[in-house]
Amino acid sequence: MKSVKEEFLQIISAYQGILHKVSMVYFKDPKDREDNLQEILYQLWKSYPGLKNKNSIGSWIYAISINTSISRVKKHARIKYDEPPSDWPDQSAVPEDDMVRKESVQELLNAIYHLDEIDKTIILLYLEERSYDEIAAIVGISKSNVGVRINRAKTSLKKHLGHLNYG
Amino acid sequence: MDNNDLQNLWKKVDQKIHPKSTDELNQLLHVKSRQTVNKFLMIITLDIIVCCGMLIYLMITSLNRSEDALYLINNVLLGLIIILVLFSGIYYWHKLRSDRFNYSLNKWLEVRIKILSDILTGKMSRLNMLAIPILYLLTIFSIHVYFENQLFVEVLRNEESIIGLMVGSVIGLSVGYYVVRKIRLYQLEKLEFLKELYAKLETASE
Repeated sequence: MKSVKEEFLQIISAYQGILHKVSMVYFKDPKDREDNLQEILYQLWKSYPGLKNKNSIGSWIYAISINTSISRVKKHARIKYDEPPSDWPDQSAVPEDDMVRKESVQELLNAIYHLDEIDKTIILLYLEERSYDEIAAIVGISKSNVGVRINRAKTSLKKHLGHLNYG
Repeated sequence: MDNNDLQNLWKKVDQKIHPKSTDELNQLLHVKSRQTVNKFLMIITLDIIVCCGMLIYLMITSLNRSEDALYLINNVLLGLIIILVLFSGIYYWHKLRSDRFNYSLNKWLEVRIKILSDILTGKMSRLNMLAIPILYLLTIFSIHVYFENQLFVEVLRNEESIIGLMVGSVIGLSVGYYVVRKIRLYQLEKLEFLKELYAKLETASE
């Protein structure tokens, strides 16, 4: 029979992409991301005994990951980022196609870094293709406001990404 | 660029993620839990050592000066304030650490703002700010009077002692307030940041 910790770690292992992506959106520095990931893991473990509805594990992980990350963001550190993070590979060693793709992803991340923490949260959940109902529950605002917020954040993102051509 | 383009582009972020094995996650959790427990134990131990050390000092000096009523009152007051300040510090630190994160963002911000406001701008904060000079003066009197080997009243009447105490108090209190102000400003900045986010969410909800 699996122990509670084993069960918890298996769940987190399956959903760990959320932890990585939330950390990526709020922190640029790889060290800060790793620290944040560890703190999220700890907060999830602390809250795990109180998790009643195991059908909404995804929402539960998003909520704790977002709240933990925001609690760690320092106001003075909320700078605008334009350079790729240091854990990205040396551009000269990357094939051209990959480089174009990575630059585009980096552009998207840079555009997200320009948003405030609330819009970052909402756009992250939108990009993760969560439903409006789920976003409303995680953020604690009405469904109609989710729509308004998403549109506003998307407009801002597109402004930064306008020069890229997809599709 | 279509809306779906953004979501499709975001999917490429997955390639940037290096997933961790269950063992690695377990190790991370283990290290973090140990760090948190160690930090808690360190704070508690340090508090208890300081508290007990001061109380032992106060008891010994009070027994040696049992004939000096004013000195006894000074030491008893000092002892009570030390216990109060240290226990309230541990209580609020523990309360902040025990805060759960499994609410909606809106609710979590509300709870967090309330806790931080209580600590930084509530009654307890005003009491703590008031406690600093009182604690400092009572401590300096306790030490000075004891090592001057005079009665409390005699020290108060001694011009040299009073000037020395005043100069010491001005320097000591300035340093004390400077340190407390620095810590408080950092925490207030954090509180303002959370309030700002909460206000944005509230505006969105209207």
